[in-house]
Amino acid sequence: MNDPDPRTLTRARDGDVGAFEDLVRQYQGDVWRFAYHFTRDRALADDVTQEAFLRAFRFLRGFRGDSKFTSWLFRIARNCAMDQIKARNVYVERVTPIAGTTTDPQARVELHAALDAVSAEHREPFLLVEVFGLSYQEAADVLGVRVGTIKSRMHRARRAMMDALAVEEEAQ
Amino acid sequence: MNHDQVERLLSARIDGERLSTRSSAALEQHLETCAECRAFERGAYRLREAARFEVAPAVPDLVDEVMTAVGAEAGQPRPRLRVVRPAGSSRRSIFPRLAPVAAALVVGALVGSLVVGGPWQRPETGSALAATDVTEGIAAAAVGLDAYQATFALDEKNLSPEVAERHLTMSVWFEEPERFRLDVVDHTEYPTTTTPTDLRLVVDGSTWYAAGPSPCATATCPRRESVVRHRLPFSTAAPTPTDLVLPISTLADADRVTVLGRGSVLGRPAVQVEVPFERAEPLFPFLSIGGDWRPFFPNDRVRIWLDERSWFPLRWEVYPATGAERDAWALRFGLPDEPALRSVFSVTALDVSLDAPDARVFDIPATSSSHDQGARPVSLGDVQGEAGFEPVAARTVGGLDRYRVVLPRDDAGGTLVAYADGLAFLNLGETRTWNGDAPFGPVGVQAEEIPLTGGGVAYYEPSSDDHGRRVSIHAAGTDLYLESNLPRSELLAAAAALPVQGLPMPEAWRLREIGVATVERMSLEAARASVPFPIELPAALPAGFGLASVELVDAGYGVGVTLYLRDRDADAGIGTIRLHLEAATALPPATSATQSTVDVAGVEGRFTPDRSQLEWIRDAVYRSLDAPGLELEELLAIATSIGPERDEAGG
Repeated sequence: MNDPDPRTLTRARDGDVGAFEDLVRQYQGDVWRFAYHFTRDRALADDVTQEAFLRAFRFLRGFRGDSKFTSWLFRIARNCAMDQIKARNVYVERVTPIAGTTTDPQARVELHAALDAVSAEHREPFLLVEVFGLSYQEAADVLGVRVGTIKSRMHRARRAMMDALAVEEEAQ
Repeated sequence: MNHDQVERLLSARIDGERLSTRSSAALEQHLETCAECRAFERGAYRLREAARFEVAPAVPDLVDEVMTAVGAEAGQPRPRLRVVRPAGSSRRSIFPRLAPVAAALVVGALVGSLVVGGPWQRPETGSALAATDVTEGIAAAAVGLDAYQATFALDEKNLSPEVAERHLTMSVWFEEPERFRLDVVDHTEYPTTTTPTDLRLVVDGSTWYAAGPSPCATATCPRRESVVRHRLPFSTAAPTPTDLVLPISTLADADRVTVLGRGSVLGRPAVQVEVPFERAEPLFPFLSIGGDWRPFFPNDRVRIWLDERSWFPLRWEVYPATGAERDAWALRFGLPDEPALRSVFSVTALDVSLDAPDARVFDIPATSSSHDQGARPVSLGDVQGEAGFEPVAARTVGGLDRYRVVLPRDDAGGTLVAYADGLAFLNLGETRTWNGDAPFGPVGVQAEEIPLTGGGVAYYEPSSDDHGRRVSIHAAGTDLYLESNLPRSELLAAAAALPVQGLPMPEAWRLREIGVATVERMSLEAARASVPFPIELPAALPAGFGLASVELVDAGYGVGVTLYLRDRDADAGIGTIRLHLEAATALPPATSATQSTVDVAGVEGRFTPDRSQLEWIRDAVYRSLDAPGLELEELLAIATSIGPERDEAGG
């Protein structure tokens, strides 16, 4: 995921609402998808996305560029998602299949089965790295953990998902 | 190294993490001999494939919601929508739901494109909602809406070089059947002393009031007030701009409505449609009440977000049309360059409620002078005595309830019974002494003849700027007309249900003399039998258009035929398309200074822009095609779809 034009970022940090709107336009899709993967609920994903950008606007002045902007934004989104889930006391553990078509329905079914098999702790880094293309460092920034933790969680996520798939295959 | 350590390294390598030279070497060495770890690597890639080719959920556009909240945070209050329904209401729902929303939500964007920040739609596409769903939904919602109040923000760009932006608010109140108020308050800080565009329009049944600064060339303009008393029910001369509540006129014609997609506006599921500005004027009634407003080009695009449950318009924006004509027009008005993707005017709902407004809202301010429309109210019991006959005045017509009976002040000596329900209305006029030379009521001799179910005929005209859809019925001993904002089919059904048998137009109406020419309305078959050349209809007409009527024109030197082609629902925009045919071998002499020569499927033709008229000759038949709202390209498309032209154009 590309970071924004530094000039836009600077203007937004200086309180330029128009520049911030550009950032919202650029990243709302990614943030929403992330929130959706996290919450598995369209309405919750909407709320998380709005709240995440509002918090980002509030705290943008404090963004010092230690991490990539996108990692920082995802971390906020993740925190918002956690808050929402806590507030509503709901966490949809099951991965709801998403309606639509795909080039390989078999692969989709498998993925859902596999994602079902892993805990949220492992699903998060897997989604960030595999689906959103974040590096380990970026994923670590988002999740607030060390790079080594991401590394081992990715491994365990893959192992668990593959085991789940193997079980599925045997069961068929 | 054990399997676990190898898998960990493999996992990192798959994710593009750099491994040390030593780790890499050890990894390769292990893989050569370990089938289990090779299987892990294959499995990991398979997972990746599945993950990246999963269908991405359709992403909503939340920019407005986010920026509303951000604006509030930044000290710039932005709209928040609140829809309030009366508590404990047991009346029937005004929120008809259409096709299931969830079924049509998702498009096939791939996660693969998501990773690189792929394209997403604004608004969501994959909508199964058709334009007819929208028009029918609105028509259904209009019946039964008994009260409404709302506040909107109006944002305008480029009023003048000095006033690049204006901000106003508009409040709207409605209570059925015919109470309405509209207030516009101008919040703009003008650089010089300027009369703000503060407006008010109040309708309370038979009284109508409008006030606002007169449009004038100077910065300070005198305020003017107009009052109409004894107003005719649902008078279009003293109108009630209820499209702000539900765009029943603007979106009456499914053929002219483009459904752009679905999304969410102000946190509510919404559907977005587009119509050209010339058809959306009922959504901008404030422009004609008074004050100064920026100009709009007829083809500017109006994008309307409608609440998917109630069909209330939540936001509508005007986007500049593109093209040389618009540029030239903009230059005339001294407008700056206006990019097509930037809205130049927007109306945004801030607050919508179904609570009944306080009755005082509709108080008409005291004014010294007024105009009298002359509609004299009369009770149903007194009608017969007053009018001299007993009118057709059933309790309900077209499913609407009788609400007012008046005696209009005109020569027809008739009665007018008004029916209403919610925003839907129907006026039923009747007279026993009609001696005009055209159908009774606002219906012309070129109206479409419609056979009614149950027998008889009626003459129908689509809605226009001045009138609703209407039909006239000429029966033995009586003449009636119906005018309504109901859909065409419902209006015709209401006409068919009346206890009268419509007769064809008498010869006195069908036959006219215009100078030396005689014009006679007749059927297409009769016209074909009367002229020595074939009469062929264009195959390509604007959507919704059909043949309304045919006239034979005898100017003494030969016989011609004029076909009137009209939109079945609404006349606004294009108007009537006329196709005139006549035996001739040369074009008539030029009559305008601004004509140009054009190619009509290989034949030299002539185009007259001020009349939107195209003329050409083929097979010794002169053809003239014109329509007020069509441009050359559209006229050419119609022209080349007529009989032989079509064949040659196709070949």
